[in-house]
Amino acid sequence: MKLSPRSSILAALLIAAFSTPAAQADFQQQPRAAGIETYGYTWNSPDQDMNRALAHRADPGKGEAAYKVCKGCHKADGAGLADADYPQLAGQHASVIIKQMMDIRAGRRDNPRMYPFAGEWIVSAEEIADIAAYLQQLPIPSSNGKGNGYHLPRGKTLYDKDCASCHGKTGEGNAANFYPMVAGQHFSYLKRETRESRDHGRRNASPEMVKVLKGYSDADVEAVSDYMSRLKADR
Amino acid sequence: MTACSRKITVAIGLIGGFWLAGVAAASDSTAIRLAHDVCAGCHGVDGNSLVPNFPKLAGQQKVYLLRELKDYRSGKRVSEIMAPLVAELGDGDLEQLAAYYAKQAPAPGIVNDPGLLAVGKSLYLNGNSTTDVPACESCHEADGSGSGKFPRVAGQHSEYALDQFRLYATGKRTNGARVMKAVAERMSEEETRAVAEYMASMP
Repeated sequence: MKLSPRSSILAALLIAAFSTPAAQADFQQQPRAAGIETYGYTWNSPDQDMNRALAHRADPGKGEAAYKVCKGCHKADGAGLADADYPQLAGQHASVIIKQMMDIRAGRRDNPRMYPFAGEWIVSAEEIADIAAYLQQLPIPSSNGKGNGYHLPRGKTLYDKDCASCHGKTGEGNAANFYPMVAGQHFSYLKRETRESRDHGRRNASPEMVKVLKGYSDADVEAVSDYMSRLKADR
Repeated sequence: MTACSRKITVAIGLIGGFWLAGVAAASDSTAIRLAHDVCAGCHGVDGNSLVPNFPKLAGQQKVYLLRELKDYRSGKRVSEIMAPLVAELGDGDLEQLAAYYAKQAPAPGIVNDPGLLAVGKSLYLNGNSTTDVPACESCHEADGSGSGKFPRVAGQHSEYALDQFRLYATGKRTNGARVMKAVAERMSEEETRAVAEYMASMP
């Protein structure tokens, strides 16, 4: 095809308009990968970044130093911040932290707020493994945010029926299966993530869990989140 | 003197000359001469710049200084002033410059607006969870001394710091920017000014 001078000028202008400013603005934008909304999505499918972290012989000492970038929000003791929905990370399974970080890096879990502080330009896969090992051995704080306590019996019934089989009777989670410890997590964070999982907003959620949550009302989510926030993990 | 002995004398003279040159390089290398003759004009002889728009380099993290110098040379950090000055320097020169400034004792900074210090201190130590600004101290340390690639901010000119926040926020400073752009664009005008004042106030 032969372009007329006018159309080639137009093309050049269009290319200029779409290439330069966008390249500048997008450099820290989180990518988007297929998640639960996509047909044929497999939960926890193999990931190169994650395998690198899992294969690394993690060093909690190095992890403490690399945690520097995280502690501006998640705090020195890993307790996060209840009011800001920054999750409590102390004592969490290393495998869980690795998986969630890699899901965020790959864009399977949306977190544009944290993404600038989580990319490979600031932490390598190996450093993430070190950080995860460091966090795993921290004591679990008990001063986490809790709910109003009004519907704990209902929360317990739901938890024992639907959640305990994977997340454990005392909310201890399961390291080998990448199931997070939910005990002692902030109520507000649990409520938000559970609701987001139910509504497909948390795109890296396990489809099995989402199936269970489908029948949950907002009140159910709140009750079970309150119950989980008060569990003491038996580990 | 025979031709042979003259050759030997020249050889001894040359060896001596090289030896002297070697000693001179160790104590007063090209890089250090450059620091005294060229850089000092803006950054002060000991890296304690007196001009608020030019950063203080004294006591700065060596890793950070070296990265910045290399980024000026490659154009990753854009400066019409710095680029031609470092264009011809080799890695060894840059390393010596970085080491020189890292070793100098930093002078105290100047606070222009003490009324902002409380806000600045709070943001520096705790961040702002409403707008997801992390605490500055996590990377730059509670005393502002920095570590490795995270620069020292204590005692820095608030004017220079403010400029950098604005360059990051508007996408004009593109080195070290993935983290700092996110931070700078989440900070309000007041927070930005306040944290620059607080950093200047740190000894």
